[in-house]
Amino acid sequence: MTGQTTGKAIELEQAAVHFGSFQAVHPTNLRIEPGEFFSILGPSGCGKTTLLRLLSGFLDPTGGDVRIGGKSMVGIDPSIRPTALIFQNLALFPLMTICENVAFGLEMRGWTKAKRRARAEELLATVALSDHAGKMPAQLSGGQKQRVAIARALAVEPSVLLLDEPLSALDLKLRQHMRAELKQIQARTGITFVYITHDQGEALTMSNRVAVMNRGRIMQTGTPDDVYDRPDSAFVATFVGEMNAVDGKVVTALDRVALVETPLGRFRAANPKGLGPGDEAILFVRPEKMRLLNAGEDEDNSIAARVTRRDMEGAWSTVVAQAEGRELRLHLPHSGRDTPPSGEVTLGFSADAGVILPKGEMSDD
Amino acid sequence: MTRLFRAFGAPLASVILLLSGVWILGLIAAPQLIMIEQSLWRMERPEGSAEISVQIDGLYNRLDVIGLDRSAAESETDAAKRETELAALAAEEAAIKAEIAVLEEKESTPVKAYTLDNFGQLGSAHLAIFAKTIVASLAVSAIALVVCYPIAYAVAKLETPRTAAAIMLALVIPYAINELLRIFAWQMILNNNGPANALLGLLGFDPVPFLDSGAGVFVAMVYAYILFMVFPLYNVLETLDSNQVEAARDLGASTWQIHRRVVIPHARPGIAVGCIMTFMLSAGSYAVPYIMTRGTAAPWFTQLIYNRFFEATNWNVGAAYALSLLAVCTVFIFLMMRLLKVSLKDIAK
Repeated sequence: MTGQTTGKAIELEQAAVHFGSFQAVHPTNLRIEPGEFFSILGPSGCGKTTLLRLLSGFLDPTGGDVRIGGKSMVGIDPSIRPTALIFQNLALFPLMTICENVAFGLEMRGWTKAKRRARAEELLATVALSDHAGKMPAQLSGGQKQRVAIARALAVEPSVLLLDEPLSALDLKLRQHMRAELKQIQARTGITFVYITHDQGEALTMSNRVAVMNRGRIMQTGTPDDVYDRPDSAFVATFVGEMNAVDGKVVTALDRVALVETPLGRFRAANPKGLGPGDEAILFVRPEKMRLLNAGEDEDNSIAARVTRRDMEGAWSTVVAQAEGRELRLHLPHSGRDTPPSGEVTLGFSADAGVILPKGEMSDD
Repeated sequence: MTRLFRAFGAPLASVILLLSGVWILGLIAAPQLIMIEQSLWRMERPEGSAEISVQIDGLYNRLDVIGLDRSAAESETDAAKRETELAALAAEEAAIKAEIAVLEEKESTPVKAYTLDNFGQLGSAHLAIFAKTIVASLAVSAIALVVCYPIAYAVAKLETPRTAAAIMLALVIPYAINELLRIFAWQMILNNNGPANALLGLLGFDPVPFLDSGAGVFVAMVYAYILFMVFPLYNVLETLDSNQVEAARDLGASTWQIHRRVVIPHARPGIAVGCIMTFMLSAGSYAVPYIMTRGTAAPWFTQLIYNRFFEATNWNVGAAYALSLLAVCTVFIFLMMRLLKVSLKDIAK
């Protein structure tokens, strides 16, 4: 890459989209910093692709404003926006060679044949595809096509690169490899990346910040650590990572910690939303923050349960236990020397390992 | 073939083979071969028929001379001499009559002769009509393409399925009516006293001789064959991934550039099929030029072929003309395929 391209900031101000009576995106405020790798994470149909089309220009907001680099983009055609879009199916031009594909944007900008060919070859070299310039897209593998799509988008030197789940068609190994490559390209070019995905692994590993979306609303925006460790809604808590959830009612609430009454007993846990006594609430605990308590060991919270299953995952194992007809999961680091737990056990977790959030919609996957 | 038998079993496979054979022989080979054979011969008067005619004329003269001789002989007074002379003349007359019969038989029985002369009958006047027909058919294909491409693109890519279905229905409905009726309707619309000219008259224009100028033929042909252009285009445009259109636009392409670089290259097989069909139908159309021009404009080549068969009753020349047209159409097909870089396989799709 030449390095002269730099990312631009994106601002949404009360931007909304509705199709007839269906509100695809509720009025949304969002600022994405220049040069940031920003992911929009959500289940299918949550409005994330609509949001992306708002940025790429294939859709104009029915209300509010979209700004890129401080300029309003409403009514500006995709062909002249400083954005480039990488499609989920890549949308390479099947009747053009790889070189022609990469040079397409330059051709449209009226570059001479020799000049755009030279530039395309330069770009193909940076994605290690120099040998394939003369081939047709159908002759390439999935990962190679992926890199052609990236080179084609970068050729027009966009300030913002929009990626619509571009890795979803690849197999796991290749996906992990491409994650690293995308991250590298982003760091090298300094372009603002907006990455749409329903795969939390992708969002968490690559992004500077993540926005979690559901039903046309951004539920939470923050660093990957923020949304994983400090979810502020039942949906984010359950959509990002695995979560044990027990519903109950707040009994007493102090400044930071509250006591919640549940069918499994009373538990102490963090109370970030400042719930008061009597509020309907759900207690969330990550499986890796649950522990098996030894006999007589003391912990902030404890639950008597019966182990029903153990799933070996490799680096850790998931123990599934039943308590009062509810399923609880905990992750145990796998050492290979311990005997797997079985029968009646006591599970425990510290007060800062659990979080009490208002009752609300949970993700069902 | 063993695969066929394995897949369908002997009885069904035999039926399939039989039907394919009938198809190939009866629908493909037989008509062409008969036309080719017909075009390659003509009935000729026999070798040296001119001399024979002279000879026959001579013999008829001789008969008259015998008639004179006979009247001379009848005035002969010597009965015995008269009888001998008359007998001799009668014998000679009979011999000559027999000879004439043989010669006349020989003169009038034509001989079937194989020759390429039938194709040579295409004189400069007919050749001009032939060329005009080809050029006009190319023009009809071009007009149909220009008219249909936006329609097909809109139906395939832009409209909602509901609207698309409604447009398609509107396109198909006129084809439920007999072709002749539709052409007659257009003939009436474009007539000097027809509604088209009435409308122009209201706008203050002089009547336009649509029919006499031959323009009516174009209008009616584009109308008659438009579906054969729309459907191949629609089918192929429907398979275009909309993301490619968006990708091109996102990369800075204007609408014209999107069509030139992405949509039209994708549509090539459909364009080829549509052009070939409209061209063949136009070049081979008899009813449209016949009805639309009513003999007031120069004829279409198909009308010449018809005339060779049924007015000049020279089927051999007619067959030669028909084959010439077929040859040009075949060349056109391969030219289109070459031009649009389309293979037979693409067209079959």
